[in-house]
Amino acid sequence: MTDSSTDPVDRFLDAARDETAELPFRLTGVMFQYYVVCERELWFLSRDVEIDRDTPSIVRGSDVDDSAYSDKRRDVRVDGIIAIDVLDSGEILEVKPSSSMTEPARLQLLFYLWYLDRVTGVEKTGVLAHPTEKRRETIELTPETSAEVESAIRGIREVVTAESPPPAEGKPVCDSCAYHDFCWSC
Amino acid sequence: MNDNYHVFSDGRIERQDDTVRVVTDDGEKKYLPVENAEAIFLHGQLEYNTRFVSFLNQEGVAVHVFGWHDHYAGSIMPKRGQTSGQTIVDQVRAYDDPGHRLKLAKAFVDGSIHNMRSNVTYYDGRGYDFEHVLEELEDARASLDGMGTIDETMGVEARARKAYYSTFDEILPEGFVFGGRQYNPPNNEVNSLISFGNSLVYANIVSAIRATALDPTVSYLHEPGERRYSLALDIADLFKPLLADRVIFRLVNRGQLTTDDFEDDMNSCLLNEAGRKTYSKAYEKTLDETIDHPDLGKKVSYQYLLRVEAYKLKKHLLTGEEYVPFRRWW
Repeated sequence: MTDSSTDPVDRFLDAARDETAELPFRLTGVMFQYYVVCERELWFLSRDVEIDRDTPSIVRGSDVDDSAYSDKRRDVRVDGIIAIDVLDSGEILEVKPSSSMTEPARLQLLFYLWYLDRVTGVEKTGVLAHPTEKRRETIELTPETSAEVESAIRGIREVVTAESPPPAEGKPVCDSCAYHDFCWSC
Repeated sequence: MNDNYHVFSDGRIERQDDTVRVVTDDGEKKYLPVENAEAIFLHGQLEYNTRFVSFLNQEGVAVHVFGWHDHYAGSIMPKRGQTSGQTIVDQVRAYDDPGHRLKLAKAFVDGSIHNMRSNVTYYDGRGYDFEHVLEELEDARASLDGMGTIDETMGVEARARKAYYSTFDEILPEGFVFGGRQYNPPNNEVNSLISFGNSLVYANIVSAIRATALDPTVSYLHEPGERRYSLALDIADLFKPLLADRVIFRLVNRGQLTTDDFEDDMNSCLLNEAGRKTYSKAYEKTLDETIDHPDLGKKVSYQYLLRVEAYKLKKHLLTGEEYVPFRRWW
């Protein structure tokens, strides 16, 4: 499946720029969040391990996402790979229910900006918004943040192509994670 | 949460606005609040239509149908929320690898012997002398290691269950003669109770497996079935002593079930409607009992233990992390 001699970032970009080529591995925006929060969760996601959709934190996240800025945003799909919300002002929006998930959301947003820049040649600025806290943060693509995205792509590839997930590791987020009972039952 | 509803009357079951109602043949109307339901068990002769089935599908509620002699007839399962090809592939791979299949089959038997033992130990400490049975169960469990085939492993299970069932005649009061397991049809009250209890455990596990992307027909101890959800049989063996058998002991020893709750047919003996109601009520109460789960760090219901078991198996198949069967730890 993989050719270790080529950098995953180059291979991803090659495939993303060429409509006929198949992506070397599935990469979605939310994977960048999981990569920061929990690599084991990322591995489960990559294998379509289903989760209990009734978990309160999941329901809450979807509700905030659906209701925020509803009059000023448009859902835009690009190349079937990324799905972004574009504000009237042209900025790319990422909505988070709470500021505790800022770092993971920031990386996801950076990936979108990076993808637009590298694949479609469009330079955009991002907005990370916490509607419940009435707070917005501007996110920009720089050589440093680009390097962050590229290093995350390599890291994500490592995780999702592994035969088995990293072992369970107790973290504060475990308590509210939808995979909690799946992970910790033994 | 995760309530089961049992319908014993004959009549119609239908969608009525955003709920389900039963209209019995004598015109009585009963409503089932299904928003938190896991499944509806139909024991009586009931008519229903596609509107009812679509509604339950939308609500994610299963229907388990029981037919003649209250035999499990089949289930109408809500459509899957999510599927996972990888899970099915890994599940079948494990079946197809003789070593892996045997290991899982032994785990199921090992766990069920432990759980049978747990019931016997309880009565051994309450005035009965079951030392010899405990030894027999221990021997059977120890012999598992040396078994090289599924058939031999099945044999160990049968031997253990026979020893376990031999305690029933002593535990249960006079008038309830067991004399060994008979089914199709059950020949006496005790066999009828075991059959009924086991079928409820089985149906609940069918629901629990559905909550994962596991295929209920691909199993390890039992041969994958054409008409049966054989993976539910594998898992049911682990839980029968905890869920089904303890209810029998409790109801019969307290006189809540008597021989009046059964009807004799030509060559069978079955629970009558009152008996089935009494049993399923006590069974549902057992499912709601909770226990501190040391791994999960919270209290969980016995019913949730079934879900956890399905999770554990799926996790094992997907990640290779060890599968440790449910062993009663309290």
